[in-house]
Formats: sequence, C-alpha cells, structure tokens
Amino acid sequence: MSFGLPWGLLALGALVPLVAAYFLRRRQKPVVVSALFLWRTPRPRAEGGPRWERFTREASLLLEVLAVLAAALYLADVRLGETARRRHLVLVVDGSLSMSARSPDGKTVLERVRMEAAKRVEDERATHVTVLASGASPHVVAGPEADASRALGALESFESRGPDHDVVPTLLWAQELAGPGKRVHFFTDAPPTEDTVVPPAVRWTALGRSQGNVALVSAQRRDEGGRATVTLRVARFGAGASEVEARVRAAPGPGAREGTERVERVALPEEGAATVRLTFREAGDVEVSLPDDALPEDGRVRLPPSPVMPVAVGLTEGLSPASRQALERFLAVSPDVARGTPVAGAPVLSVGPARAEARVTLGAEAPLRTFVGPFFTEKGSTLMDDVQLAGVRWTAGANPPGRPLVTAGEAVLVSEEEGGRLHLNVDLARSNLQRTTAWPVLLGNVVREARRLREGFPRHQLNLGEALPVVTEAGARYALSGPMGKKPVFGAGALSLPPPTSPGHYVLERDGTEVDAVEVLALDARESDLRGRGSADVPAKEAGEDVAGNGGQERARWPLVLLLAALLADFYVTRKV
Amino acid sequence: MSTRLDEAEVARLVPGLTLALPRLPQRGRVGEVRASSAGSAMELHDFRMYQPGDDLRQVDWNAVARTGDLVLRVRQDEVSPRAEVVLDGSRSMALSPRKAAAAREVALLTVEVGGRQGLSPTLLWGGPRSERVQGLACRAALRGAEFEAQDDLASALGRLPPLRPCGVRVVVSDFLFETDLEALCARLSRGASALFLVQVLDVEDLEPTGGEGARLVDSESGVALEELLTDSVLAAYARRFAEHQRALRSAAVRARGTLLTVSTADGLRAQVAGPLRALFVAGGGA
Repeated sequence: MSFGLPWGLLALGALVPLVAAYFLRRRQKPVVVSALFLWRTPRPRAEGGPRWERFTREASLLLEVLAVLAAALYLADVRLGETARRRHLVLVVDGSLSMSARSPDGKTVLERVRMEAAKRVEDERATHVTVLASGASPHVVAGPEADASRALGALESFESRGPDHDVVPTLLWAQELAGPGKRVHFFTDAPPTEDTVVPPAVRWTALGRSQGNVALVSAQRRDEGGRATVTLRVARFGAGASEVEARVRAAPGPGAREGTERVERVALPEEGAATVRLTFREAGDVEVSLPDDALPEDGRVRLPPSPVMPVAVGLTEGLSPASRQALERFLAVSPDVARGTPVAGAPVLSVGPARAEARVTLGAEAPLRTFVGPFFTEKGSTLMDDVQLAGVRWTAGANPPGRPLVTAGEAVLVSEEEGGRLHLNVDLARSNLQRTTAWPVLLGNVVREARRLREGFPRHQLNLGEALPVVTEAGARYALSGPMGKKPVFGAGALSLPPPTSPGHYVLERDGTEVDAVEVLALDARESDLRGRGSADVPAKEAGEDVAGNGGQERARWPLVLLLAALLADFYVTRKV
Repeated sequence: MSTRLDEAEVARLVPGLTLALPRLPQRGRVGEVRASSAGSAMELHDFRMYQPGDDLRQVDWNAVARTGDLVLRVRQDEVSPRAEVVLDGSRSMALSPRKAAAAREVALLTVEVGGRQGLSPTLLWGGPRSERVQGLACRAALRGAEFEAQDDLASALGRLPPLRPCGVRVVVSDFLFETDLEALCARLSRGASALFLVQVLDVEDLEPTGGEGARLVDSESGVALEELLTDSVLAAYARRFAEHQRALRSAAVRARGTLLTVSTADGLRAQVAGPLRALFVAGGGA
C-alpha cells in the first residue's frame, strides 16, 4: 500500500471527535421512566438468542469509523498492490569539480543540490528515482529506478570531482531513461549558456554562485639525477588578493633524512597565470597547497617522484665500423640513454646489422645504389618528425621488409615492420647521412619512440580532463585501479584511455602486479573559474506529465464506494433505533 | 397542584364524600364456597339446585317435597363492611413528586372517607418494609411513606400481610409493570366485596416529552435503554401504552373490579369529580 498524498491521512483526526461524540452520546442525560417495557420494540426474531440490536450504537460507531477511514484513504490517494503508485523521477547531477565550490556560509553547491533534489522528490511524490552524474563518461549514481530513499542516500555519498564537460549527452541519456513525456531534473552550478542546446524535457536548476577563486592550473614534477623540479602555474579568477602564499612540502626521499617545507609568495597577475619553479634534492612526495578559498580542491596537489627512465641501447655484433662509429657518436651526446649495465624497467633498444634480430637494423646489402634525391618521406610517422634529407647522399641496398617510411624512386630507404622493428637501409661508409643534421634527429626520434612505447604511463602527472595515455604489451592482462575502482584495460601498444572521472592515484596492473602509477591532479582551469556560476531555474520547454500533478494517475474509487456503503449502512442502523 | 401530600385539601373533601359500597350481594361460587353466617340476619336471595359440597342445612325441604328435586336456598350474608387500601410502594410511584403526592392523597382520602363511614380502614403499604396500619395511624404512615421498593406491586403482594375478605378494596398504583394482569386482578379481587383499581399516572407516563436523545432508566430495575425520542418512537410508546391500558381494563372487568385512571395533571378535587367519581360518591351525610 502506498499513498499519493499522505497529508490526506490527517482526515483520520476526525475519529477523535467522532469517538468523543459517541461516548458523549452514551452518557447523555438519564431519564427515569415508570415502565421501560413500554419503550422497547418487540423483536420476535431476537427471542432465540442474543440480541445483536443491543450493539446498535457500537455498530453505528464502527460504520462511522469505517466511513472516516474510507474518506481518509481516498484523500490520501491510496494505492494497493498492482495499482500502487509508481512515480519515476530522473535526476541528473553535474559531476564537475566546480560543484564542490563553497559559498561564504560554508555550504557546497553539491550540498544544496542534495537538499533541492530531496525536495524535488518529495514535491513530485516520486517513489522511484534514477540519479545520473554527468561527465565525460556519465555514470549512474543510483538506479535505474531505485527506491527514492536509497537514491537520495546514494546522492549523499556522491562526490562531484570530474572535469569540465558537455552535459548534453548525459541529459539526452536521462531523457531516454525517463521515457517520453517525462521531465528530467538537472542540477548544476551555472545557468545554461546561449549556445547550450538543452533538451526540451529538461528542467535546468542552477544553484551556484559567482565568486573569485585562486587555483593551481598546472603542476609538473620532473626528477633528474636526484633533483626534483616542480613547476607550478597559479592563476587568479576574479577579484581577490594579488598575492598568495603557496606552501610546498617535500617529504624526505630514499636518501634523505628530513624533508623540506617552503612557503612561496606568488604574485598573481590580473590575467593569465604566474609560474613558479622549485627544486628539491632527494625529495619524496611533494605536496603543494594554497590557502583555502571557494574551491579548496584546486589548490592542493600531491606530486610523487617521476624519474625520467633512460633508454638502454645495445649494439649487437656485425655492425660495420662506420655504423658503429656513427651510433656511438650519437649515443655519447644523447640524454637519457644508458649503455652498458641495463636499468631495471628501462626500455631496451637493440641495434644490429641488416637481417639481424634487432629492433633497429642499420646497413645495406648488395646491390648498392646511391641516391641524392628526391626523397619521399612518410610525414605521418613520428619517426620522421623534423628529418630533413636535403643534401643527403644515401647509399641503399636491397629493399627491407615492412611499411616504407622513406623512399627514393623504387628503393625503400627506411621501413617499419608491424611489430615496431625499424630498418635503416643505408651504408654509412658510402653515405653522408651521419654527417648531416638528419642523422641525430632520426636517431633521436627512434629513442623517443622507444621510450614512448615503454610499458606503463608515459606521463606521471595529469590534469583533470586529459586523456590517460598508457602503453601495454601484447599477451598480458592489464587493469587500471583508481578511486573509482578497478577496470580492465583492453588493447596493446600505445593506448589513450578516456579522461579519468575523478582525480587521484591510478595504478596500472599487469596480471595483478603493479607496473606503473599516475597522479591525476584535481586541476582544471575551466572548473576553477567560478565567475560564470550562478543560480537559475529554467523550466522545461515541454510540459510533461509531471505538470499535470495528480492527473498522472487517477485516484482509486473503491474508498468512495466503501464510504457510501458505510454511510448507507449507518443510516439503516440508526433508522431502526 | 401541590407536589406534596395536601392534607388540607383531603380534609376539605372528606366531609362531602362516601365510599361507593357494593350493591350486589356476595355470591358464593358453585361447589367452592360453603355458605355461612346462617341466622336471623340472613335474607333469602335466590334458589338453585343442590351441588355436592353445599350445606345440607340450606336445602329447602318443602321445595323438595313439592318438586322432588334438591333445591337449595341461597341467602345473602349481611356483612360488616371494611375498607382496605393497598398502596403500591414501588419507585415508579415517585416518578415525580406530584405523582407520589397524588397517590398518597387518593389513599388518604379513601382512608379518611372510609373511617368516616365506619369502615375500619386499613392501609397496606407495599414498600420495602411492608406493613399494615389501621385507623388514625394511617395518616401518619402515609406522611412518612417513601416509594422505594425495587419491585412492582405484583411482587410486593407476596410480602404483604394477607388481604382480608369482605371489604371494599382500593388498590392505588400506576399498574405500569410487566406481569400477568389477569392473575394480578384476580388475586386482588379475591375475597373483596368491591375492587377499585386506582391508577395514578404522571403526565410523563401519559405523554412523555420527546425531541432529544435520552438514556431511559427504569425506575425500579435500573435497566437503561438509549433512545432518540423521535415522533415515531413516541407514537410507538403511545401505542403500546394504550394496549397495556386495554389489557388492564379487561383484566379488571374480569375480576369484577373497576379501573379508575387519574392523571397528576388534575388536582385531587378534579380527580374526585372526574375519574374517581365511581369510588367516591358525593353526599357525606349518607
């Protein structure tokens, strides 16, 4: 049993005067008579047993109580069994970080949204609620069609910390969940802009407030040789202090005894951002915090160590002296390259002669031909970035397998196989490639690509809203665990995962073993800018069934029938008295 | 109308009234009652055939010789008349002070008039403590009489002293109780030369007030009945009351009695001049 209008049960209060009147009537003034038998109506049919007519008053009371009960049930819009009222309401909550902004009274926008959502559920007399959180990847907070109390409970534990995003796809999804003719209630912190195409069934409720904010818009850390370099960009949005103190605390690293704590005074320009660069020796996690303001979340970051992993290069036997000499000359000056002792976890780049089982082959097999141009380069390949072959005399041999990257006529000078093997079809003894700028650029691209294809995260600090790049190897099972739980990662090679929906620490696991970690920082300049926020209540363009109020479902009529029957029976009973 | 015993009014009425004594002789019942009181005072009244059990001394042997049948002389006794007043002491008689006063006044008037006629009036009081008083004590008894018996007259007769025969018997009651009226009247008339049933009714007994709900409480048993005193309910009461009166009157006639119904709406003088005219005959000098 459910009630569409529980206030109708207040009609049960009529029972109090009814029962009181009954007892008052029972205690009415006694009148002494000489012969009571003359007042009694003979009841021949009652002679055989107890006279139920003695309970006429009680029967009248019971019938009147029944009538009041029926009236209360009708007013309360009672629903029984299959006809029990089922009213579905779809709520969409903005999942962006700015929903955590606090007004001067200390309440966040999300807290206001929770209260407004509860009020909306009560006003709409919803029995089932679906709560969606908008975002780059919208998700269901409660439901679909969860019990109203459970849905509101789930909304209480929901945290809005996502990046800036387009809400329209979420609203369209919500509209489909609600069904045709039903309204969707969207709660956010800013009124819709003119170019926002709001679906017609959406009621847009903005509960934000325009206010100033100081935020970190980016934070990067780079570790080289025991020295950590932290680069911060601090911006001021709107009115506020022209200077802010950034507190930076570096935990002690593996080789350090104690950490470091600094307070940097940062002068904030009117527009743009101020950049601060700090260095620390043997530092562990570095935590940066700005004074609390409207949105404290965007003023705090934690930067774990992010060492640059060198690429281990190995030269195999069989390389020509010219090739070896050219390679060693490059490796001698190339940064982040290690030779000799292999570094644990570092990518390995092996270079060998033509036909060798190396990642990169260098050499040419007869018959040899020399080309001075024109050279045709595959511009779409990152290996060929900025490689200028003008003035190069290139002596090549037989065409190597794989996809051509550089050709000269029919000859394939550089090719790449499917697995990533690179073939440099060049005889450096007869070419001048190693003496041109194209040589270090080409090898630099090869080393960079090798580093990029290292298993794990190419970047270890990301801002909210940025896609998450990750490199996986074929044949292994990967999973990404983070604040929102663990998700499998499908595919092999260099992948770009959707932007994380929440800031925090994300770990890449291969077959249950941690491979790499990345820190997603709660930094999003568009979310930190609270100047465009405000409050508004834009009604839906289409009037759904919700507007019809009680007309959505007709009241049950059986209480009225019961009421009428009780009144008639009461009339009949009292008439006999 | 006074709500208490108006002795002055009674005293004013007594000189001009006499009790209506029975003009018909007391008849013996065939085969049931032996004729008595033989002597010079006996006066021949009638003849009839002998029935077993009759006194053989009353056989008219001359008639036997003439007719060959056993002919019996029926003689009228010359009795010494008495007045006996039975007053119902049940609570219903005190339904209103006026009703109680009217009952006392009728009883007192009967006693006074009977005493003035030399009928040795006796008062039988059917109250909680039944008693019999005679002569001047009757007045005092009536003054202090309270109607507090929780049963009706039919039940009270069981605890009263035995009624004395050969007297004028006046029973003052409202006769508003459920009983076998035939049996009651027969018992009251037994041995009496004349029986007067004086029914004293209150205005509320005759025409109860309606218009509202009431918790009707029986004056004697205390049993309650809730009623909305609508016109239909009052009409039903009036109908049942009329049926009761008819039954009572019929029972009185069968017992050779006279039912006299008086209303408390009338004063004692009006009652004497009206309904009680059959009991009190004008002409105190007689």
